[in-house]
Amino acid sequence: MKKQDTNTIRKKSMGVKTSRIIANTIIYAILVLMTIVWLFPFFGLVLESFRVEIPQQVGYFWPKEFGFDNYVKLFTQTDFLRWFGNTAFMGVATAVLQTVFVLMMSYTLSRLRFKGRKALMNLMLILGMFPGFLTMILIYKVFYDFGLTENMAPIGLIIVYCASSAMGYYVSKGFFDTIPKSLDEAARVDGATRWQVFYKVIMPLSKPIIIYTVLMGFMAPWGDFMMAKYIIHENQLGMNVAVGMYEWMSVTNMNTHYTMFCAAGVVVAIPVVAVFLALQKYYVEGVTGGAVKG
Amino acid sequence: MASVKLTNVKKIYGKDTVAVQDFNLDIADKEFIVFVGPSGCGKSTTLRMIAGLEDISEGTVEIDGVVVNDLQPRDRDIAMVFQNYALYPHLTVFENMAFSLRLKNAPQDEVYEKVVNAAEILGITEYLTRKPRALSGGQRQRVAIGRAMVRDSKVFLMDEPLSNLDAKLRNQMRAEIILLRQKIDTTFIYVTHDQTEAMTLGDRIVIMKDGFIQQVGTPTEVFDMPVNLFVGEFIGAPKMNTFKTQLVCEGGKYYVTPYGAKIEITGKKAELLKEKNVQGGEIILGVRPEHFVLSDANNPAAIPCKIVVNEMMGSELHLHVVEENGDKLIVRIPTVSLEDEERKALVYGKTIYVTFEGKVMHFFDKETEKNLLV
Amino acid sequence: MNRLNDLDYLKLNKFQAFFYNLKLFFCAIPSWLWGVLLSLFGFFKNCWNWLKNEILDIGRTFKHGNWAVKLSFFIFGFGNLFYGQILRGILFLLFEIIFIVYMIVPSGGIHWLGKANFFQTGATVGDVPPLKNQYDPIMDSYYTIWGDDSVKVLLYALLTVIFIIAFIYTWRLQVKQCRICMEITAKGKKVKSGKQDLKSLLDDQFHKTLLTLPVFGIGAFTVLPIIYMVLIAFTSYDNAHDGFSNLFSWVGWTNFNQLLDFGNGGLGITFGEILSWTLIWSFFATFTNYFLGMFVAIMINKKGIRFKKFWRTVLVMTIAIPQFVSLLYVSKLFDDSGIIGKLLIDWGWLDWGQSLWDNPTSAKILLIVLNIWIGIPYLMLMATGILMNIPQDLYESSRIDGANTFQQYTKITLPYMLFVTGPYLLTSFVGNLNNFNVIFLLSGGNPIKGTAGGASVGHTDLLITWLYKMTLASGDTKYYAASVIGIMVFVVVAVLSLIVYNVIPSTKNEEDYK
Repeated sequence: MKKQDTNTIRKKSMGVKTSRIIANTIIYAILVLMTIVWLFPFFGLVLESFRVEIPQQVGYFWPKEFGFDNYVKLFTQTDFLRWFGNTAFMGVATAVLQTVFVLMMSYTLSRLRFKGRKALMNLMLILGMFPGFLTMILIYKVFYDFGLTENMAPIGLIIVYCASSAMGYYVSKGFFDTIPKSLDEAARVDGATRWQVFYKVIMPLSKPIIIYTVLMGFMAPWGDFMMAKYIIHENQLGMNVAVGMYEWMSVTNMNTHYTMFCAAGVVVAIPVVAVFLALQKYYVEGVTGGAVKG
Repeated sequence: MASVKLTNVKKIYGKDTVAVQDFNLDIADKEFIVFVGPSGCGKSTTLRMIAGLEDISEGTVEIDGVVVNDLQPRDRDIAMVFQNYALYPHLTVFENMAFSLRLKNAPQDEVYEKVVNAAEILGITEYLTRKPRALSGGQRQRVAIGRAMVRDSKVFLMDEPLSNLDAKLRNQMRAEIILLRQKIDTTFIYVTHDQTEAMTLGDRIVIMKDGFIQQVGTPTEVFDMPVNLFVGEFIGAPKMNTFKTQLVCEGGKYYVTPYGAKIEITGKKAELLKEKNVQGGEIILGVRPEHFVLSDANNPAAIPCKIVVNEMMGSELHLHVVEENGDKLIVRIPTVSLEDEERKALVYGKTIYVTFEGKVMHFFDKETEKNLLV
Repeated sequence: MNRLNDLDYLKLNKFQAFFYNLKLFFCAIPSWLWGVLLSLFGFFKNCWNWLKNEILDIGRTFKHGNWAVKLSFFIFGFGNLFYGQILRGILFLLFEIIFIVYMIVPSGGIHWLGKANFFQTGATVGDVPPLKNQYDPIMDSYYTIWGDDSVKVLLYALLTVIFIIAFIYTWRLQVKQCRICMEITAKGKKVKSGKQDLKSLLDDQFHKTLLTLPVFGIGAFTVLPIIYMVLIAFTSYDNAHDGFSNLFSWVGWTNFNQLLDFGNGGLGITFGEILSWTLIWSFFATFTNYFLGMFVAIMINKKGIRFKKFWRTVLVMTIAIPQFVSLLYVSKLFDDSGIIGKLLIDWGWLDWGQSLWDNPTSAKILLIVLNIWIGIPYLMLMATGILMNIPQDLYESSRIDGANTFQQYTKITLPYMLFVTGPYLLTSFVGNLNNFNVIFLLSGGNPIKGTAGGASVGHTDLLITWLYKMTLASGDTKYYAASVIGIMVFVVVAVLSLIVYNVIPSTKNEEDYK
């Protein structure tokens, strides 16, 4: 090779290295900036929850005086604990029931072939196009007669969250579709009934999707405002955290409850974030699978 | 330990996609039968109908004289080995093999005895506590077979069990299945697309195409007397050479005239032609590659052709040649029949002369493609 | 339009090919519409054929059936009992008895059906209005004698209709079963016993066992309420006609006309404005998130970038924290006295009382920006998963072919992502159409534009938040209007889905990238 050529090649390879360093630097810069933007509100939330000088918005970041007053007040002077209990109860119940419903539906649609299967799937697709909130008008009327609103709202809401939850079968059906069908067939030839195939072969293999469904079920009541507000109205005893805390941020209450909202926000976020981060892996699997399956 | 009988079995998918039809077959007790054919010919479907994994659209399947059409797979007393092994990933090898016994609530002693016994026969005793994930392809295959063995079932079904293995392992496992068959004396139904497996394993072979049975017979029968062009080309490797040519009948003797050469038909084939009183005319002639021999220009029966590819397989040479009209032929010559120099001279572009003996060819009708002698 | 054959097509350069495809696309629309029409027609034809066959089959069954079969036309399950299927027979018979009793008892099915006056425009739902201001001479006070409650009348009437349909279906089912029993017995075989029936519920009928509960849940809590609300759209159910203190009545298509009426008293203009903002919002919310999320995922997953897990976890926190906490808090940051809002005022960019939330345009932009903040982590996770699924050898071979990083992105990553996530984009678009949380918790629909449909309407209201406000507006709830809006949302989503499913490739050639 001529000397010139080797030189250009050396130059080029130097170029690759420096351009990679530049690119990476830019990326790091962006990522650090993003981290700040994403974490800033949460730092703000935590800081303001410890601010004791004024219970309203102040327009500055760093509290002048730190203290636990907001937390103390939260647990002693408000119904927050009750709301928290309501929501946690709903979360656990929804996690269990919703998982059962979703698994039954998705397993059936993925594994069993029967008359009306396609029709059922189409029906659910079409039903999903209606805004779900629409159903609340009738459901509220009926629940009202059964006494499942206001302070009994948590029970009513669990029914609302779970009864139709099988319509969200898509992600777990996608998962079941990836388990080879020959496993079912092998088990059936080995002498298993469909039921035995279900709980001896498929269920042990479905841990990721079960955890995903449980996680989704547990998280739902923590974030729901729309349905909950409709069923609960103003009843303090039946509220979940979202409805209760929303009131604190209304124009009339904000000047007295703002920092308390922050404290409550921190208290709510801790268990949910803990559960979530612990099970993050399964969540990611579900999200990815769901997106690919559509 | 049972006979299997299929009568007029038909399988229709959806409204009018016919996968299998007119399937009639009697499988004797303890027979090893092989379904073979190209993909999509309905062989797996038929097997799955016997297993009960597919509904039978029409006709009946009997096992041991009992019609099993409406029985669930578990009530048919069959065992099956799947192409992709279908091992339960969450169970150990032992539990995989014990699965069917566990379902029957068999006592632990019995489970242990049967599983360990099967594992010993298959040589997988040391893997019993592993999960399938930790096994190689061949080992997984053994586990799958073992799982079927412990069932002591009436019929042993195998759906392309070797097709996921590499060539070397496949040969080894094939030999082992033959051995296995001597140890577990039961009825086998084996599905494959590989004619070598079919020929080496089967007592009888069922050759299928497009949902129809083409021919049922022992390996020798289907090789020596293929009922039609498809079977002729499908069985035997490399594939049979076929070309259109004239069959001439002169003075009580039959000749074929491929590419200007004139070859007299002798032996049993000539007798059969006479017996059937076959008229001359254009036919499709089938000659297996191994029946060609090298000849020279002086021989009136020799066909001149040019070498395109020379594949040295070790014990034999596969010569891909082009005849003057452009037809492609494959000629298979034992390596030992040639001297070193002769062999080296067979290079691209060289003209050689080949011919074949009068007693080893097959005659097919050019319209129906049926064997004229059957 | 004449199609080019493949080889001629390959001669076209990029632009020619693009225009050729564009032309092809538009030329295909008529035939596509025609196809939709045809398939609709085919659907109805199939329905009709099915009905015809059913009726013919019933006739044949009656004609050829023996006396047991014939009797089962009138006594449910008689045939089953006759052929020894005791369990099924008893269940069928029980169903018939319950049905008949329910229909004829004083306040049973017939009673409710008579009261509902289905679709008789002008008629009230229920026929006994409450008698108000009745004088009680003993107590010397006024009281009300309550009459019908339209809400309940309609509900019970609807349930009765469903019951009747179930009755007809069951009748047909048991007649058919009875005939099958007859045929099986004629062949000399045995019919299934009750014990076998129960056993098969865990085996070949396992789907029935598994589906009963979920399907019942969906039926009772989604199908029934939706049918009910569709009916409500044809009534005058609102605060003034709440059903018990004042019966509501059937009004025909009036509500729909009102929604599409662009004149003065109509809701047409408001509806049009809200619908267009809803669509604009969905479009931006979906695609900004999609591309930026993918961009972030690519950055984090780039070779040589360290602390991948850290970056990811930071973003994932946003998903984990309940939305109402993060959204409400962030929303208030932009208030006049919020940290950011105050900063903007201090810098002199905004005036007091003119925060970003108070101006329609800036509120809309802010919503989309904040939605990026909410949405990127989710998309990042998803994109990460998909990026990992892209076979590495594609990148390696493209690098050998001479592609640079950017070309790799446009030629490999993007097509792959778009292909794989096609259906997701649709779901996400629909999700954003109905994204109640983000809008309601961030802007609450404000700034306020006016009043429509009984509720105050803001510039950033989506159809779903408008609907929500209608049903909760104090003193002036308009349930019928909410129902109409709900139906409109359905129409929009259905049309969109129909188009998208016919256009995007991944619904058709699923195997392309496998």
